[in-house]
Amino acid sequence: MTATAERKPDYATYPRLTMAQARAAAAQLLAMRGDGAAVDDPTLLAIERFYRLEARLLDEERHDEWYGLLADDLFYWMPLRENRFRRDPRPPLDPAAMALFDECKADIAVRLGRLASNLVWSEDPPTRHVYVVSNVEAFSTELPTEFEVHSSFVQHRNRSEHDEATLMGRRRDLLRRVEGGFQLARRLILLPQSVLLTKNLSAFF
Amino acid sequence: MRMRDLVDTDFGTVDRRIFWDRAIYDRELERVFARSWLFVAHECQVETPGAFVTTYMGEDSVIVARGDDGINVFLNSCPHRGNRVCFADSGEGRQFTCNYHGWAFGLDGALRKMPKMGLYKSTPGFRMEDWGLKRARVASYQGLVFATFCDEAPPLADWLGNFRWYLDAVLDAEEGGTEFLPGGATRSVMRCNWKFPADNFVGDIYHALWTHLGGADPALGRHGGVKVENEGSYQVSANGHGWEFNNSFLGNAATMGDREILRYMRSRQDAITARLGKFRADMWGSVASATIFPNFSFLPGYFTFRSFQPKGPHQTEIHAWTLVPRNMPSDIKDRFRRGSMRTFSPSGLLEMDDGENWEHSTSANAGWVTRHQRLCYAMAPIAEADLVGLPGTVTAGQLSDANQRLFYKRWAEMMDAQSWADMPLPPAMVAQGTAT
Ligand code: FES
Ligand SMILES: [Fe+2]
Repeated sequence: MTATAERKPDYATYPRLTMAQARAAAAQLLAMRGDGAAVDDPTLLAIERFYRLEARLLDEERHDEWYGLLADDLFYWMPLRENRFRRDPRPPLDPAAMALFDECKADIAVRLGRLASNLVWSEDPPTRHVYVVSNVEAFSTELPTEFEVHSSFVQHRNRSEHDEATLMGRRRDLLRRVEGGFQLARRLILLPQSVLLTKNLSAFF
Repeated sequence: MRMRDLVDTDFGTVDRRIFWDRAIYDRELERVFARSWLFVAHECQVETPGAFVTTYMGEDSVIVARGDDGINVFLNSCPHRGNRVCFADSGEGRQFTCNYHGWAFGLDGALRKMPKMGLYKSTPGFRMEDWGLKRARVASYQGLVFATFCDEAPPLADWLGNFRWYLDAVLDAEEGGTEFLPGGATRSVMRCNWKFPADNFVGDIYHALWTHLGGADPALGRHGGVKVENEGSYQVSANGHGWEFNNSFLGNAATMGDREILRYMRSRQDAITARLGKFRADMWGSVASATIFPNFSFLPGYFTFRSFQPKGPHQTEIHAWTLVPRNMPSDIKDRFRRGSMRTFSPSGLLEMDDGENWEHSTSANAGWVTRHQRLCYAMAPIAEADLVGLPGTVTAGQLSDANQRLFYKRWAEMMDAQSWADMPLPPAMVAQGTAT
């Protein structure tokens, strides 16, 4: 314990986004409407394999391996959902508004540092996770190495005895093909809940 | 059952039934929530005529709307058959129309019109003015809007009393007032009694030393480099409101792990000290937490402001916003937006550790034997001696249960009192400008 505490990483040196880069990434996610050509079946299968791997790594708390799937320019965003009338002219998702996740890769590293500290009593004994990813649709983009992918998910947790939460939602990803697989470069997570009906988001999506 | 028998606020013990019993909870809705001034909005959320938000006062759903001559607060339930009137969290409009039969209400809650109005015009004894949405009294302090449905409650200024002088340390640190960062409230549900989070914020820095070890670890290293000692720190209580704090100026903010925020805060230290005096300037972003009685809390430094909305004796909904000085540069505001989200929101590195404690402090009371054992609110270290010359009841040392005892003292007074005459507020001291 003390050894790790003494060798604390300097997160300031980890990959970050400037505010302008984060806003540009958000704009890219908001523009994703499945307009590109659908990818061929082998590519779709490879992407689905990537998602199964990602879900299994998260279910098994293999966080360092999951972290290795993230691109250095990652933008990871879960905006708040508000109940508004249809006539309301404001954009429903605003990157300048408060959010539930609004992260770059360094921010994820800090979260993993928290979990690895062995000082998080609310994760000890551990929570059990099951992550289901479905409805995967992948489209080509202007870059041959990048894919726009839409999917839906179920994120189920149980801890202790009766403490349970099932969150469902949609994701929009930008995946980048790299040697041996893919990296996640952008992710928009849309939960349908306007009031989060559980006490925390101690999970990744 | 007299509530003053359930809380011993001299030594400091609390009967656990106050966190569990339905009858006590129902009395809280009547005697605490329906008689208190409750936070409903920041003025910036309803800045122009027609702007509205919906929220709760106790379990009563209300609409907060800017009319042509001020902010109005009224029940969000139609007096015709009772349906909820407005289903949006925020928006803009000139009237609120009920979905059931189409009764329409103005920005002041008054009944304006309905389909087939002639049928009512010809109904003997029916008067439009009798059937508006029930209005609350409304008052503001430094941009924060409060409301109460109680006609006998003293003015908001007296309700806040001596606490106002301290509130200015976060609400009036910079010229130009404050605002909530954009977006609606961050809302989440905890299966806990509302008093656990309220009493945590009113005076429990003690838990941070243990609960939040893991959350503080990656940003700050073990023990966080954040000092929590009873030297140079205080608890202040007034009318049940309470604030525990030290004099570190930016101790809370440091745990957000953003050096640009700290650089900016340091650059403002002289100006804020000139404005507030050293004592209160040092409170601006320090290691601290506070609750405005009964259920509106905030954390200096992260500047998260939140109400703990009661949803039954065993459930609470947290509604949270981040408050910043209006004149703060926009890139620093954005850093606070991310910083407060990453520490104190449902995904926050620190908040994630709190919920489970409060949920299990509540659910354990299902056990009959368990709930008949009292809880300990006795911590009163030597440092906890009264200080004079400052407004309110001030004790030295932030590590103590002093504020919690006074929170439950006020709670029991309100629960037992038949009328406002039985629970007077002490006169507020005239604020003396700069204490040092
Ligand atoms: S209940 Fe609202 S119009 Fe009838
Ligand atoms: Fe806490």
